[in-house]
Amino acid sequence: MHKTTFQSCVILVLIFTIATTTGCQQQSSPYFGTVKPQHGAQELWINNSSEPEWLDPGRCSDSTGGEIIWNTFEGLVQAHPATLKPLPAIATHWDISDDGRVYRFYLRPSFWSDGHPLTADDFVFALQRLVDPQTGSKYASNGFIFHQGLAISRGEAAVDTLGVRALDSHILEIELVDPLPYFLNFLSFYSFMPIPQHLLQNLQKRGIDQDLWTRPEHVVCNGAFRMTDWQFRQHMTFEKNTQYWDAASVKLNRVRVAMVESSTTAMNMYVAGEFDWPGGSTSLPAEFMDHLERYKDFHSHPYLGVYFYWINTTKPPLDNPLIRRALSLAIDRDSLVKHVTRGGQIGSSDLVPDGLAGYEGLHLPVYDPVEARRLLAEAGYPTGQDLPGVTLSFNTSEGHKQVAEAIQAMWQQELGITVELENQEWKVFLANAEQMNFQISRMGWIGDYADPYTFLELLTSDCGNNHSNWSSKTYDALLERANQHNDPEERLKILRKAEAFALEEQPLIPLYVYTRTQLIKPYVRGIWGNHQDRHPWKYMWIDESFDPYEESSDPVSKSRKDIQVHE
Amino acid sequence: MIRLLVRRVLELVPTVLVIVVASFALVRLAPGSPFSSEKEIPAEIRQKLEAKYGFDKPLPEQFVRYLGNLLQGDLGLSTKYPQRTVNEIIANGFPVTLTLAAVALLWSLFVGITAGIIGAIRQNTVWDHAAMTAALVGISVPSFVLGPLLVLVVSLRLHVLPPAGWGDWQHVVLPGLTLGTIYAASIARLTRGGMLEVIRSDFIRTARAKGLSEKLIVWRHMLRGALLPVVSYLGPAVASMLTGSVVVEKIFNVPGIGPYFVDAAFNRDYFLVMGIVLLYAFFLLFMNLVVDILYGFLDPRIDIS
Repeated sequence: MHKTTFQSCVILVLIFTIATTTGCQQQSSPYFGTVKPQHGAQELWINNSSEPEWLDPGRCSDSTGGEIIWNTFEGLVQAHPATLKPLPAIATHWDISDDGRVYRFYLRPSFWSDGHPLTADDFVFALQRLVDPQTGSKYASNGFIFHQGLAISRGEAAVDTLGVRALDSHILEIELVDPLPYFLNFLSFYSFMPIPQHLLQNLQKRGIDQDLWTRPEHVVCNGAFRMTDWQFRQHMTFEKNTQYWDAASVKLNRVRVAMVESSTTAMNMYVAGEFDWPGGSTSLPAEFMDHLERYKDFHSHPYLGVYFYWINTTKPPLDNPLIRRALSLAIDRDSLVKHVTRGGQIGSSDLVPDGLAGYEGLHLPVYDPVEARRLLAEAGYPTGQDLPGVTLSFNTSEGHKQVAEAIQAMWQQELGITVELENQEWKVFLANAEQMNFQISRMGWIGDYADPYTFLELLTSDCGNNHSNWSSKTYDALLERANQHNDPEERLKILRKAEAFALEEQPLIPLYVYTRTQLIKPYVRGIWGNHQDRHPWKYMWIDESFDPYEESSDPVSKSRKDIQVHE
Repeated sequence: MIRLLVRRVLELVPTVLVIVVASFALVRLAPGSPFSSEKEIPAEIRQKLEAKYGFDKPLPEQFVRYLGNLLQGDLGLSTKYPQRTVNEIIANGFPVTLTLAAVALLWSLFVGITAGIIGAIRQNTVWDHAAMTAALVGISVPSFVLGPLLVLVVSLRLHVLPPAGWGDWQHVVLPGLTLGTIYAASIARLTRGGMLEVIRSDFIRTARAKGLSEKLIVWRHMLRGALLPVVSYLGPAVASMLTGSVVVEKIFNVPGIGPYFVDAAFNRDYFLVMGIVLLYAFFLLFMNLVVDILYGFLDPRIDIS
């Protein structure tokens, strides 16, 4: 028996010797994994984390579907890959009315991938379809910015009364409810892409279910790439769309998009060279962060998303704003992001993250235990111990649990408050949030467009996503006034005032601003880190002359010099 | 024989019916809806979505409709993958899971039986101890440890096989080994035990007395008797390879139906949950039937009719 154990030990030692010696070779490289492309020239292999629900722009409501739509369809404007500033796309230029409510877009002559001409009617069709209740679009609310959008979705007005009209085949007029200064930025969102009306009609004529129009055997698109293959839950293949108006500047010939859900598996595939870029929507496992940071192909940038806790402001004792503020100030956010989340997140007490053009963040204190104790004493609980029970709910996830446990400890330590944690399965968690059946509840919010309004709207009285039961006429009026304002600077000042007003009442506790951590092979060029995590494949290319032994620069910054963006 | 089969198949009907009723009730009792999300969906739109799937009708009516569709072989539409029917999703994923389970089964049988035979005929030697120690390790190491270890050594260090994915034969090897090893270990122990029981019985002594070669005795006489416990273990083992592939399929990103077991329930994808539960229930019942029949062939003392 001893002899056998000895033999087994020898085998184990052998395996680990092989593993570690080859491991040592890898560690000496400044890159994480292989840096030799495993595929043909100008081909890109990426990950899109999961099977998208819809690839139909009018119905899509998830980031995995959005990633595909952004690269296979093109709207009136496109976001600049680095600055996200709206650039001409299908529209070459546009006029804006004096009151800022009516936009007139002039469309370039362009074609669908089947050679059919694209006209303003395709946009009218797409946007009417978005708000039409018959479509059942989860993102129909994106169309409420258009005149009559809300009424149509409620079935109170006819679809053709929507404020989107084709003045001729290449002029499109859009009438908005309010003069929204962020409209052009928002317009590059995937919900507003054109839809090939002729294809849907054709399918109907042939008796084929119209819902299947985005399958590769049918799909017709107008973006830089078109889908040629879709293996359910495995991968999709895209090829350069030769009918695309700007096809001459597209360098990649082929893009293979896999759907790998596990971030660890995706990372392994990256190491083995099966991914050039594990994709924008795949976050890297937090436990590897310290290890990955040393490699040259590791990148991180802030992301337009906030992690926060909703407070149900009608349930005692949290109906008292002093206690809510005390809870917020007792959280050491810097320590939270440094020791718990560890992904380079930025601790913040603001609802609106930094980085939105023209908006000066509030930069509220991220940690002030002395003031927190003072507020709690003012509320009548000097030691915190006699405060009635408080429960903090979060949906099942190791990350959320760790954050909740850290905050539970901070509240106990700084304020003497005992908080109970409640871990709930996702759909149960959502049902409880909807029915306001909680005291404190975790949430994250990703901005749909680069404007503070995408975050501030959350706290308006009639916002269905407001899970605080907090409502203020003053706040609503401030936001309303801001949206009516035609002067962008003045508008942002009003929004800032509104944010300060709301956070004084603390209906939610912001914790940190998200970051995106990425691994990008050094031979991939044309990826910019931007806060909406939009990375059009159109600008990407494979640098075949890349030499790992040469001192090379960060591909993210090198890209800027290489790519000419049409302005 | 045919009468037995017909009787056993007919016996399955009430069992399946109870499973349909119970799973339908359970899945609907769970709080939350397939359409709830962190971003609010306007009420009118939500009603349209519910109407599309018939969720706006009273529950008994929905059940009758589901049963009617089921009898026609229609498992309904998925809410998570709205462009796919449950039939299509299962048709896509089940062959993948079956392939994986088949590889795992072959691997576990090959390794398990070989190790078991060696252990038994070389009882209490180094060979026996080595095989049984390996079996003990195999049983003790869960797939979520073995899988990543294999990836680390075989894929990332030795660069022999891909770390994940599906499509080529290379993709089946690591998940197959990961899934099969734990069963190989059990099979080795069962085979060894079975062989040791048979090895001293009268019919083996008779075979030896007849002057048969040792090889023939082992293969034809000993193994046949020794495999009985293995066969009865295989029924639930195959079923558990199929259901237990959840973890392995996640680690190796295998597009089988394993992950739906958990994900479809989390997503409240009602029809997909029902479809998967029914498929597995049916498979489990079917495997039990197969095992009962195999018993008759392996042990002449058992009269299956």
